[in-house]
Amino acid sequence: MKNRFEFRHVLLILMVACIVSLINWAHSARAAGGAPRYFAITNARIVTGSGAPINNGTVVVAKGLIQAVGESVAIPPEAWVIDGKGLTVYPGLIDAGTDLGLPKEEPAESAPAGRGRRRAAPSGEIAKGPEDRPGTSPWRVAADEFKTDDKRIETWRNAGFTTALTMPDGGIFPGQASLVDLAGDRRGDYIVKAVATLPISFTSVGNFWAFPDSLMGSIAYIRQVFDDSNWYAQAEPIYEANETKFERLPYDRTEQVIARELRDKEIVLLPANNSVQILRALRLADEWKINAVIYGGQHGYEVADAIAAKKVPVLVNLKWPERAKDADPEGEETLRELRFRDRAPSTPAALSKSGVKFAFYSGGLSGPKDILKNARKAIAAGLAPDAALRAFTSDSAEILGVSGRMGSIAPGKIANLVVTDGEIFDEKTKVKHVFVDGRWFEIHEEPPAEKVGDHKTDEPPGAPAKDMTSGEGVGR
Amino acid sequence: MSRAISVKSSSLQLISFCLALSLAFPLWSQRAANVYAIKGAKVYTLAGPAIENGTVVIRDGKIAAVGANIAVPDDAQVIDAAGLEVYPGMFDPITQMGLNEVGAVSATVDTRELGAFNPELIAATAVNPATAHIPVTRANGITEVLAVPGIGGFDSEGGGVITGQASTFNLAGWTMDEMQIKRSVAMVINWPSIQTRSFDFSTFSFKEKPYTEAKKEYDKSVNELSDWLVRARHYAQAKEKGSPDLFVRDLKLEALVPVVEGKLPVLMVADDARDIRNAVDFCAKQNLKMILASGAESWKVKDLLKEKKIPVILGPTERLPEREDAPYDKPMTQPAELNAAGIPFAFSSFGTSFSRRLPQYAGTAVGYGLPHDEGLKAVMLNAAQILGLADQVGTLEPGKLANIIVTSGDPLEIQTQVRYLFIKGQLTSTDNRHRDLYEEYRKRPVPPR
Repeated sequence: MKNRFEFRHVLLILMVACIVSLINWAHSARAAGGAPRYFAITNARIVTGSGAPINNGTVVVAKGLIQAVGESVAIPPEAWVIDGKGLTVYPGLIDAGTDLGLPKEEPAESAPAGRGRRRAAPSGEIAKGPEDRPGTSPWRVAADEFKTDDKRIETWRNAGFTTALTMPDGGIFPGQASLVDLAGDRRGDYIVKAVATLPISFTSVGNFWAFPDSLMGSIAYIRQVFDDSNWYAQAEPIYEANETKFERLPYDRTEQVIARELRDKEIVLLPANNSVQILRALRLADEWKINAVIYGGQHGYEVADAIAAKKVPVLVNLKWPERAKDADPEGEETLRELRFRDRAPSTPAALSKSGVKFAFYSGGLSGPKDILKNARKAIAAGLAPDAALRAFTSDSAEILGVSGRMGSIAPGKIANLVVTDGEIFDEKTKVKHVFVDGRWFEIHEEPPAEKVGDHKTDEPPGAPAKDMTSGEGVGR
Repeated sequence: MSRAISVKSSSLQLISFCLALSLAFPLWSQRAANVYAIKGAKVYTLAGPAIENGTVVIRDGKIAAVGANIAVPDDAQVIDAAGLEVYPGMFDPITQMGLNEVGAVSATVDTRELGAFNPELIAATAVNPATAHIPVTRANGITEVLAVPGIGGFDSEGGGVITGQASTFNLAGWTMDEMQIKRSVAMVINWPSIQTRSFDFSTFSFKEKPYTEAKKEYDKSVNELSDWLVRARHYAQAKEKGSPDLFVRDLKLEALVPVVEGKLPVLMVADDARDIRNAVDFCAKQNLKMILASGAESWKVKDLLKEKKIPVILGPTERLPEREDAPYDKPMTQPAELNAAGIPFAFSSFGTSFSRRLPQYAGTAVGYGLPHDEGLKAVMLNAAQILGLADQVGTLEPGKLANIIVTSGDPLEIQTQVRYLFIKGQLTSTDNRHRDLYEEYRKRPVPPR
């Protein structure tokens, strides 16, 4: 009897413990309710991105937005003050093309080998023509599929990237790319602009099996989709005004989405890396009357003036061509490969000189360190460092149509900031703090494996906590 | 009006031709069918200087006499070849003749067997004597070929290493027994290459693989090849010394015995300089008698080939260079380079339907610096010497097979015609499918003007 009573007692304690921990968990899940979201970075050099840098100034962040910036601004009493002595504040960096949060689906290796192994149309049936809408899912929105547990989000953020355009993959119209900020508690917090751009790919999706199986097929197909959508846009209001006079319009999800895109002049991303592709994209942008932005653009040094003449912006892929890591040591490389490898990093300088608006994106680079390293290569090839910074900040925001909200340090802008201990493109510079939507992340450098003892000197002055792991947020 | 006359005159020609034939046949039948004398031609024997106004006597399939002052035997059918030129027939030393009729129709392609090691296969067993490619080829002056299993064409990518034995035969006859010159001439080995780039048929695109992986695959293939040769040596030893009761016959190993004994040469297919170097090293270590086949980058390893005395059977000269940045004319100038370096080589078509282009491959090389007489040798004599058949074909000398062409001029020139063709001493027709089609479509109705 006694034993049983004791057991019930234990059970009760356990239940209470469970409930308490559940409440705790719920709190951490809605962490915005935690520490106050007011910060001030003082005594820092501030590269605002809109005007001359402030050599000794203050940035005030309040509830996710920049409240004030200047040499002498009032610091709200509730703000947590970060001494920015010796530090530089930049607008948060934007990676204008990634698949962050959209991990690639591994192709099914178990599929039978040989000629039978073909990708079918999304419907599962074999596409025979444009009417079957092969590789077309423009209604997909990256924001809806965004996974906040992608480890790369933190890696990118720790390197100073606060924002990314994340693009779905697969097919000709894979779906809408979304602009996301790289922090938040729930998926919804991350999204800046769900329907940001419409990436198009010219890849033939037929794989010897279905339509389209060639470049000319893909381009003809895209042309058909735009034509159909334009027709739909015109026919829909006519039908709605005359429902008893005309037969109803057939339902087509693709046409509905694309018609809306065209009406809203949404950005359409056209892939083009070499000069032939770039010139073709410029021509198609005219023909299709779309608000086009080229992505890729690595041969831009050859056709910079042609791009400038059409005033089409370019997202430049920073994944510069490189010799394969495990390449044949005796393999002879072609002059063409060597020339491209040598000259690709001069593209940003050439675009800048010709007056082309461009932004940088990581395009499959595996880590943010490589992004900045490759940006340095562009600077070494003649690009002015402030132009390089713009390609990560204000120009990027402008191309993506969000310059009212981000890309510079100004009151009312989203509080996306990166605080460093030196020039951002300097190899030795370290990122000390990152603000994403006014959320503070203090960056603790991972101690290098060979000299752990040096770690202490990396601590910034006034760091409130010493026991945090790398990149963990504080004050949330 | 003029058209009517021309039609009439061509039918007249036909009638007179038939008349001539019916007259000629009784004449021929009066004489021995296997004795000919070619008279009054310039004779290029390739065994000495050209003979002006020479005579070639053919008897019983062989060359009986060659020279300036040769008596014409009484029983000989005399061919007046004044103004014409006489040469040994050409030898295409790497073809798929008789093994491949229509490349796109798999039922007519018999060029290789499944599996990577098939030394027991012999090309002669599969050659179709009735192939339409033979008459087309011989009409251009090619009188004998080597049929090589597992080389060339779409299906050679399949990864065969030892693909079988090559056979040489005359391009006229009803059966292989009648046509064959030598059943087993060389063992064919496709040297494994370190390839980081490969074509993936499941996705129909090129795939890059890491070097270490490619190297591992290469090492595996070479080790396997080496194992086969070791087993063949063991087999030879067991066969010689072992107990006959316990002895189990193995056709694959048996076929490799003459190879490891150095009696049967190896036709080693390799193109990249590295592959050639590796293959030469391998053959030196294994004591194999190597003939380099294809050898697109032979020019890079001239010293090695010269030092090891390795002859080369070159592929077509009319093609693009192996590498994007190589000089555009490298395939055309390479023969002159090899000749200057003193490396023996022969031209070959590596094909079937293009075997007929053999003289033009040499002609192009002559245009790009190869001495003309070397060009002739490289399509007539060198292949026979390289393959150890020079006692039978390659020159116009008494005792050799009477494979002879009588031409209107330089055989390396594309306009030159073969007027008379002797294969194994038989006057052989130059009619062929190309000519049939030409004649057929000449007769097409001409639309009224």
